[in-house]
Amino acid sequence: MRLPRLLQAALVLVGVYLGFIVVFDYMLEAVIPGSLLTMYMFFVTVGVFMVFTYDEERTRELVAPIKAMVENPIYRGARNTVFIVIPLLVGYGVYSRTLPSFEAPVELRTIHPAPPSTAKIYGERVNLLTLENPFRHYQTDDPEIFAEYVQEGAAVYIENCQYCHGDKLDGKGPYAEGLNPTPLNFQDIGTIAQLQESYLYWRIATGGPGLPKEAAPWISSMPVWQEFLTEEEIWKVILFLYDYTGHAPRSWGEAHDAGGH
Amino acid sequence: MMRSVLAAAALALVPSMGLAQTGDMDRGETIYVKRCLQCHGEDGDGLGPAAERLNPPPRDFTLGLYKYVTSGFDADMPNDADLIRMIRDGMPGTAMPGWSDMLSQQDILDVVSYIKYFAEIEGEPETQTDFGTQVASSEESIAAGKLLFEDNDRCTECHGIEGKGNAIKKLKDDNGDRTWPRNLTKPWAFRASNDPRDIFARISVGIPTTQMPSFADPASKKSLSIEDRWHVANYVASLAKTEKVVNPDNFVVQGTRAEGALPGSPDDETWAAVPHSTFMMIPQIVGQDRFFTAANDTVTVRALYDTERVAIHLEWDDRTHSIPGDAKAASIADEELYEDAIAIQFPRQIPEGMEKPYFLMGNAADPVNLWRWSSGTADAPETARIIDAAGIGSQTARDDSGDFQATGSYRDGTWRVVMTRALETANTETDLQFEQGRFVPIGFFAWDGSNGETGTAHSMTTWYWLQLKPAASSKPLIYAVLAGLLVLALLAWWGGTAAARARRST
Repeated sequence: MRLPRLLQAALVLVGVYLGFIVVFDYMLEAVIPGSLLTMYMFFVTVGVFMVFTYDEERTRELVAPIKAMVENPIYRGARNTVFIVIPLLVGYGVYSRTLPSFEAPVELRTIHPAPPSTAKIYGERVNLLTLENPFRHYQTDDPEIFAEYVQEGAAVYIENCQYCHGDKLDGKGPYAEGLNPTPLNFQDIGTIAQLQESYLYWRIATGGPGLPKEAAPWISSMPVWQEFLTEEEIWKVILFLYDYTGHAPRSWGEAHDAGGH
Repeated sequence: MMRSVLAAAALALVPSMGLAQTGDMDRGETIYVKRCLQCHGEDGDGLGPAAERLNPPPRDFTLGLYKYVTSGFDADMPNDADLIRMIRDGMPGTAMPGWSDMLSQQDILDVVSYIKYFAEIEGEPETQTDFGTQVASSEESIAAGKLLFEDNDRCTECHGIEGKGNAIKKLKDDNGDRTWPRNLTKPWAFRASNDPRDIFARISVGIPTTQMPSFADPASKKSLSIEDRWHVANYVASLAKTEKVVNPDNFVVQGTRAEGALPGSPDDETWAAVPHSTFMMIPQIVGQDRFFTAANDTVTVRALYDTERVAIHLEWDDRTHSIPGDAKAASIADEELYEDAIAIQFPRQIPEGMEKPYFLMGNAADPVNLWRWSSGTADAPETARIIDAAGIGSQTARDDSGDFQATGSYRDGTWRVVMTRALETANTETDLQFEQGRFVPIGFFAWDGSNGETGTAHSMTTWYWLQLKPAASSKPLIYAVLAGLLVLALLAWWGGTAAARARRST
């Protein structure tokens, strides 16, 4: 037996709605903001409506149960129930939306904004498109020296970064919960593994205040590390981040459109 | 590596250290070098690069003394299970994370066998803690525990009458580092859980290398029977002040319309009924000069308002009442003694869009208001000032803070401060003007004067929100009824015309 098309449409909508909840709230562990969910569901509803009313035949099939309920006296009881329940739901919806709420405003910010082509770091304008880690070549040229630099980077990290980004580089340092936005998790495949080393250098050296506006520089608690660390220390800590997590930095050969996601 | 050779030699010499039970020391070394060395040091002496900045400092494995153990109080080594647990679960409130998601059970065994080698720990502890029969928690047991806690100044001597760790005693660990008695009302910060069984172990063994003694030791004048230790454990577990638990999903201080007059005193009982929000405070490690060892870790905030004014109540635990010029206060202070202080940060205007001032005291382009209260000295009363801040190093206290008022009260290890100001002021350019229903960014900074905190050395939060919730009105109900009736009318019209059409067509 084929399901009535109206029920099909309703099931699709409910399925997508639950899908959003499952993906965001459980798989990504980031509860989806109500306003965002409303916006998504609006587009989904429009899409479902377009598919289900593609031609006249389908449209008729879709609305047939509604038409029958309203017009056919046999269904009078069902009709009256629906006609009472819908105004009550609308009334409740309006009531709960106009009631003053303590729900904090949603702040959407870009986590990895597109980097500028140049940035002023240590008083000099550097070209981020060509900048490379001066120690990276030792990884193949002289692994022993490279290992030493990684160790030096590790020391810089433990002294300066673990408080927020964590001993395990998982963004869960002892102070992470006191910060909003929360510190980045470097173990996550979606963070440093997707970025070039020059991007990390820019983000570390200029810190939160060096972010472009779409990334909300006023709330990031990332310090401006060029005030605390030397250029070499920053490059070494970058070596350590990749070494410890086992990720490889993105190279220029792969893509020129890093960031911006 | 040299150490592997030594370790292998040691293993060869000590046949009792079976590999199967103690893990593989060579594998342990490899893991140690990658995961542990940065804090605990190459030689296991706790002198990694960040030793100075970590509070508490990393454990020195060369002594073989561990704080959270279940072997007997007179044993000279921990149980392997104690070490395994610390590595697996980590220690809340310290830089030691739990490793269970990164290291397998075998990995942890391997590391344990390696770190034991630093102190040449071999074999099993000679004695174990006797847990007897656990006494289930009950009103009677808690009451008995409270008596024992206070009797003979047994626990109150250091932990204070309310258990906030606020007793007037300067404690040091074996290393000469300052330690603070645990605030027992915040048991989520216990390094090894607040399960009564864990508390029982701490009471029985003490916390080695610190001044927390064993109460199982019959030589102690304050020693307790097994049953009595269970009572004290149950009492300590009952001290949790759950309103001080940080809810990481809450970002809002709910400002409530006052029923009567705004309570001006921080100790006024009406505050207890006002909704509270507790936020985590972290050391100021973002701006110059970074400060790593702040004492305050949370602040609990409440807000009330009426037609004229807003009153904000701040409550935080502080073990020390810091009074510069007071000899007793100075004797407990770590170094130089400063006033205790707290500040609320607001933007100058309610932001129209997403953009706010820089969270750490603003900047030159977008300065902030700080409402700052400080506790006063032996010679001077408390102060309440509005400060214009344009960055962490740039603060100007106003000569005239208008009608801003703040007053504090210290009791049993807790500060309570109320700050009040008119909702609207004449300085619309430089003062925040409050509006009902709007979300206002709010942040907090606190200074513990006995912990050397002054200037840029303090604890802080990032931005949260304050909303003065509008008083209840009938508007939502009216809108809801109107919308419901409108839809009902439309449906009735639809139903009516449809029925008429259906009749015509038959």
